[in-house]
Amino acid sequence: MMNWNLYSRGDKFFAIVVSILIGMFTVATLYPFIYIAAVSFSSGFAAQAGKVVFMPIDATLEAYGYIITDPQFWLSYRNTFIYTIGGTVMSLVFIIPGAYALSRPQLKGRRYFNLFIAFTMWFNAGLIPFFLNMRDLGLLDSMFGIILGFAVNAFNIILLRNFFEAIPQSFEEAARMDGANDFEVLWKVFMPLSKPAIATITLFCIVSRWNGFFWAMVLLQSEEKIPLQVFLRHTIANLSDNDEFAILQTAAGFSAETVTAAIIVCSIIPVLIVYPFIQKYFEKGILLGGVKE
Amino acid sequence: MSGVNLKKIVKAYGAVQVVHGIDLNVAEKEFVVLVGPSGCGKSTTLRMIAGLEEITGGDLTIHGKRMNRVAPKDRDVAMVFQNYALYPHLNVADNMAFGLRIRKMPKDQIKTTISDVAEVLGLTEYLERRPADLSGGQRQRVAMGRAIVRHPKVFLFDEPLSNLDAKLRTQMRAEIKRLHNRLGVTSVYVTHDQVEAMTLADRIVVMNNGAIEQIGTPMELFNNPANVFVASFLGSPPMNQVKGTLTETGAKIGDIELKLPYPINGNAGRDVVVGIRPEHVTLAEGPQTTAMPISLDLVEPLGSEALLHARFGEATLVFKAETQGDIEHLSGVTQVHVPGDLVKLFDAETGRALQLGA
Amino acid sequence: MREENTTAEADQPLQSEDSRWVRLFDHFKREWQIYAMLLPTLIWFLVFLYKPMYGLQIAFKDYSIFRGVSGSPWIGLEHFQTLFSNDQFLRAIKNTIQISALNLLFGFPAPIILALMFNEVLNATYKRTAQTIVYLPHFISSVIIAGIVITAFSPTAGIINTVLGWFGIDSIYFLTQPEWFRPIFVGTGIWQEAGFGSIVFLAAIAGVNPSLYESAVVDGANRWQMMWKITIPSILPTILIMLIIRIGNIMEVSFELVILLYQPATYETADVVNTWIYRQGLQSGQYDLAAAAGLFNALVAFVLVMTANTLSRRYSRTSLW
Repeated sequence: MMNWNLYSRGDKFFAIVVSILIGMFTVATLYPFIYIAAVSFSSGFAAQAGKVVFMPIDATLEAYGYIITDPQFWLSYRNTFIYTIGGTVMSLVFIIPGAYALSRPQLKGRRYFNLFIAFTMWFNAGLIPFFLNMRDLGLLDSMFGIILGFAVNAFNIILLRNFFEAIPQSFEEAARMDGANDFEVLWKVFMPLSKPAIATITLFCIVSRWNGFFWAMVLLQSEEKIPLQVFLRHTIANLSDNDEFAILQTAAGFSAETVTAAIIVCSIIPVLIVYPFIQKYFEKGILLGGVKE
Repeated sequence: MSGVNLKKIVKAYGAVQVVHGIDLNVAEKEFVVLVGPSGCGKSTTLRMIAGLEEITGGDLTIHGKRMNRVAPKDRDVAMVFQNYALYPHLNVADNMAFGLRIRKMPKDQIKTTISDVAEVLGLTEYLERRPADLSGGQRQRVAMGRAIVRHPKVFLFDEPLSNLDAKLRTQMRAEIKRLHNRLGVTSVYVTHDQVEAMTLADRIVVMNNGAIEQIGTPMELFNNPANVFVASFLGSPPMNQVKGTLTETGAKIGDIELKLPYPINGNAGRDVVVGIRPEHVTLAEGPQTTAMPISLDLVEPLGSEALLHARFGEATLVFKAETQGDIEHLSGVTQVHVPGDLVKLFDAETGRALQLGA
Repeated sequence: MREENTTAEADQPLQSEDSRWVRLFDHFKREWQIYAMLLPTLIWFLVFLYKPMYGLQIAFKDYSIFRGVSGSPWIGLEHFQTLFSNDQFLRAIKNTIQISALNLLFGFPAPIILALMFNEVLNATYKRTAQTIVYLPHFISSVIIAGIVITAFSPTAGIINTVLGWFGIDSIYFLTQPEWFRPIFVGTGIWQEAGFGSIVFLAAIAGVNPSLYESAVVDGANRWQMMWKITIPSILPTILIMLIIRIGNIMEVSFELVILLYQPATYETADVVNTWIYRQGLQSGQYDLAAAAGLFNALVAFVLVMTANTLSRRYSRTSLW
């Protein structure tokens, strides 16, 4: 069907134009990252003067030198790892057994439980009651609060439930006749059979944890608990009108722009590292969720 | 009492009853086949024996113990599923060992059991393979192997051959029969294929609409179907059924009177269904036959035999005739001869067999 | 045989030992594990999502943190009266709808066009590489996105103004100018999500029966005609569903990014309902008023989403959940 040699001249022209447009969009997508990387390696002076376009100008590592000597950077980097790993594990601990139970036809009241979960996708109490609830639970400024309070969401549960439901009933039945209980069925049969779905959810969790910002900003007060995203936000907001920093930067070869760019680069790198692994799964994963016949 | 006993077993989903209180005794070492059209309740019955469906009412005993509320794993039964349910992430050996590991059998014992069973099933060289790398027949064997390794008291088969092509099915059918002869384990086998039922069963249970139509050995059912349903279900092609009326000396069907070699005993005038097996009619006149004029529609050669599709009045009938290497001579057939002694009679209203000749 | 069984047994009452309660008890005894597996999730939903719904009652109360949710006195609809006479809140509603409308107008077609274009790219490696790149921004946090935007649009240092400078255009301080907020915000959204959004449409395109194209080739159609006559009509149900979802989510402007990009100078065009709630509630401590605004927002969103689901069910026999 799609064979270049069978294309008419018009079709060939069309295909070439489309390929070029795609290429332009791709470059436009990629360019901001290149630009930021270039800024991060440029001198503060060049960056401030808006000289950086593609390549670093007066290439220097000063901006990186500045952030890696900031203990807060390393602290928030560490915190982000804690939130990401702890939060993802916590999510899976809730989601996998919950989705399994909801997928079992023998679960009485299954319809209502599903509705109970799905309802939260359509209606939520909003920022303020959620915040007050966290406060009442004593989870303000608590790392554990961040990890637990955002562990589950209806979408992930439903995604995995749909996947579990598609596994032929006979797998469970065979395991049961072999003497397996539900925990064994889940652990030894369903989880190995659902690797793609579980991987998808794991990666969704990792990404959303890594990127989590708003609630961390709202709920965490102590500097030593904030994640990288909040630290980055503080840096962007504070650097430019910080006198101490202004004095510092004139002496050194960096500026607010280059430091911001350097932190951005540092926080993107882990995403870029896991991205190839994610990509294998997310295309299928997003189709598994929501839309269901 | 040993074996598997079902007493007034009922299955209902809410208000809808799908199995209407069936009674069945499967003797120890017996091979019983449940056969019937889809939706007749045969699989549900099997799954109740397995413990995969809760029993709504009645008693199920296996080897003398009431099992209604015993978990599947404690019933000492093993099941072969239609789609085999082999775990794709485990190799053949691990698939077979799955149940043994769950039951915490010692490792070396698992190993010897697996290799013994693999030997029996001819799977020894495939033990390291994943199910995806096996042929249909090999997967089927693994599924059986997984059941066999546990040495259960009862084997349950849920249409185990229906995913195989025709040739393999015949082969595996014979293998199942041989295995049963060798292991002698009580077996309940569900199929919709009457040929499988006939070839495998010690006794066949014909089910329809959630109830048992008839229980008996294959030949009993073939020779003496209890009703029209069983008659039409077993045999290939199925028994021809023609509406008729009993007379003093036989049965009037269409314009002809079929002579019956036994007394009608005051049943004359009764409306009946006359059942004629396709293979019972002859082209030549016999001692107790009645000639039946037909108009031939179609001749289907099968090799040594041919199927004659013919019309008799309103009815469409199928007969079997020998070809003797040529079907030319069959194309001119205008009448067949029906042996009165082999014809079956059923009450037209109830569909139940009339035992006039017995 | 059959008659005896059906007539005699079918309607007979079941044995007493198999009564409903016994079987229910039996069911829980047998299946307790799945209930045990479900329990933590149910509790989590109760504690973290349903308890706040109980807390929503402060929208009708004069809430004080000392008296707590249940101790605060009821004041009826006072907060709602305040809200609807509050210009800033009304402006936030207007902004929300306007930004959503722009998102719909420009952000919705973008992934469809992208998917249609990807479908025409013949070289698999080229296509794969481009897809990998355009999906990427979806996985980048809004803080970083905002950081990039702030840097790129900076009046002195930013690349945008550098490029404008090449054409002799004076530097513009984009992020302080209300008229620039929405183009930047919507454009950023397209940059971040168009690629990822195309996955759904690409999947729909992949599901089109190839023989349709083959017969079109035999009929002499060119690729452009095939796109209009085959591809687009075939994915129309998907487009419709996604459109309905978008309309259902009109109240959901990604306020995280708004918070990161707006400033008092641009509130005029940038302040949306959720950012207003954030400022009133979390920054100024007017919890009850902000909760009332949140309730209003959630109710509107709920009605929209429910309507959307009903519509999609009607048009596609596919429900969204």
